[in-house]
Amino acid sequence: MELEKRGVVAPLVVTETFLPLVQAQARARRVRPRLVVVPHPVGGLNEAELAGRIEGAAAELLRMADEARGLS
Amino acid sequence: MSTDWDVAVVGAGIAGLTAARVAADRGLRVVAYDRLTPGGQLVNLTALHDHPGGTGPELVSALTAAAEAAGVRIGYAEVTRVHPGSAVRLETGDGEVTAGVVVVAAGLGPGRLGLPAEEALVGRGISTCAGCDGPLFRGRAVAVVGEDEWTAEEALELAGWASAVTVLVPGPPRWSPERAERLAAAGTVEVLTGAAVTALRGEGVLSGVVVRTADGERDLPVAGLFPFVDRRGPEGLVDGLAADEHGRLVGAGNVLVAGDARAGAEQSLAAAEADGRAAGEAAVAALAATAGSLRIVDPTYGLPPEDDAGPVEAAGSTATWTDVALFTNSKPNATELLRGLGQRLQAHWELPELGFAAKESASVAADKDTIDWLSQRFKMVLVAVGD
Ligand SMILES: Cc1cc2nc3c(=O)[nH]c(=O)nc-3n(C[C@H](O)[C@H](O)[C@H](O)COP(=O)(O)OP(=O)(O)OC[C@H]3O[C@@H](n4cnc5c(N)ncnc54)[C@H](O)[C@@H]3O)c2cc1C
Repeated sequence: MELEKRGVVAPLVVTETFLPLVQAQARARRVRPRLVVVPHPVGGLNEAELAGRIEGAAAELLRMADEARGLS
Repeated sequence: MSTDWDVAVVGAGIAGLTAARVAADRGLRVVAYDRLTPGGQLVNLTALHDHPGGTGPELVSALTAAAEAAGVRIGYAEVTRVHPGSAVRLETGDGEVTAGVVVVAAGLGPGRLGLPAEEALVGRGISTCAGCDGPLFRGRAVAVVGEDEWTAEEALELAGWASAVTVLVPGPPRWSPERAERLAAAGTVEVLTGAAVTALRGEGVLSGVVVRTADGERDLPVAGLFPFVDRRGPEGLVDGLAADEHGRLVGAGNVLVAGDARAGAEQSLAAAEADGRAAGEAAVAALAATAGSLRIVDPTYGLPPEDDAGPVEAAGSTATWTDVALFTNSKPNATELLRGLGQRLQAHWELPELGFAAKESASVAADKDTIDWLSQRFKMVLVAVGD
C-alpha cells in the first residue's frame, strides 16, 4: 500500500480469507488497493493446484495491469 | 469464505458498541445494527450510578465516537432473524447480510406486567423511563414495580417530581442496604414487599392499579406506573440458540452474546462493557482461528500514515513500464504463486526480466530500504500480502 502511495502500481495478491483484513488496512490507510483475489489456501497446495490458482487469477491481473498502463 | 462483514453486532448499546470497537480496532470490518439509535438503555439514563461515565447521553456520545473512529459502521436497521453457519446470515430491515461472527448485544425488552390492556396504556401512564417521563407526573402519585438496584434508583429519581412513589416489590428486594436506606429516608417513598399488580384501572389513560399483598387486594390510585419486571431477552432472534427462562441467550460457535441479552448477565453498565470487550476479543480470536492462525502483516507497517493525496510520482524514479518486480512475503507457496503470475505478465507485456524482492519472513514488516528500492526502480510491483 505504501508502494501505491509512492506512485508504483502495486497489485496485492491476497486470498479470500485475508481479503477483509487487507481491506480494513487499506481503509485505515485511506488507499484503494488493487486486489488480485485467489481462493484460500495457497500454502500446502501441490503444483497442479497452484497452477490452478495462477490460471484463475491471471486474467484479472493482466486486465488490471493493462488498465494501469493505459492499454485497455 | 468471504462475507459482507467480519463481525456483525446486533444492538448498539454499551455492550454492542464496545464489542464492535474492540473488533474494529484490530482491523476487522464491523457493522453494529440498532433498530433505534446507538446507546440502548443508556440513552434513558440521566444519572449513571456505579459507573464513572458522566450522564447517559455523554457516555453514548463517547462510545459512538470511539466506535466510529475505529471504523465501525453503524447500521440503522432492525435485525429480524439470524441464521448461524460458517457465514452467519442476518435478515435486517435493510436487506440480508453475512458475517463471519455475530455478537448479539440486543439487551432486554422493556419491563412488563403481562396484564390485559397494558400495551394500550404505554405512553398513557405506563413508562419505563423515569428520566424521560418523570416530569409528566409532577405533583401526582406514581407506582414503580421491581426489585433490583435500578428500580430503587428510578423510584428515587421519580420522588423528585411525584407527590408519592409506591415501590411494589414482587419478591424480596435485591437492592443494596445503602439504597434501602435512601428509600427509607425519602419521605414520599413507600416500599411494599410481596406486592403484585393484578389489574390496571383507567379508560384511555391510567388512573390506578390493583395491588395484591399478603393483606389482600386494594386499589392504588396512581397516574404513572413504571414496571421494571419481566424484561425479556432476544429469544427466538437466532435460529437454534438456547435461551434461559428470561429469554436471554447462550452463545454458541460464531454467534456470541454480550451484555444484558446474555444468560446470567449481571445487568449493569460495567458488566455490559466488560462483556462487550470480551466478545470483541472472542470475535477476533474466532476469525483468526478460521484464517488458519496466520497473521496478515502489512508490508508497509511502521511507515508513517499519510493523507490520501493520491499516488505521487516517486521522486527521482526512472522506472518505465518494462520495470516490473515481484515482492513476496515468503509464506509457503507465495513466491511460486507470484512467479507464476509474473510469468504471465512477462509474456503478455514481453518483458525481458522481472525484479524480485522478499521479506525475510511473513511475520516481520517490510524494511524501509526495500520499499525505497522498489519504488525508485520499478513502475509496477506485484505484492503477496495475505495467503
Ligand atoms: C431503568 C434502568 C436504570 C439503570 N441504571 C443503571 C445505572 O445507573 N448504572 C448501571 O451500571 N446500570 C444501570 N442499568 C443497567 C444498564 O443500563 C444495562 O445493564 C446496560 O445498559 C445494558 O447494556 P446492553 O448494551 O447490554 O443493552 P442495551 O443498552 O439494552 O442495548 C441494546 C440495544 O440493542 C438494540 N436492539 C435490540 N434488539 C435489536 C434488533 N433485533 N435489531 C437491532 N437492534 C436491536 C436496542 O435498540 C438497544 O439499543 C439500568 C437499567 C435500567 C433498566
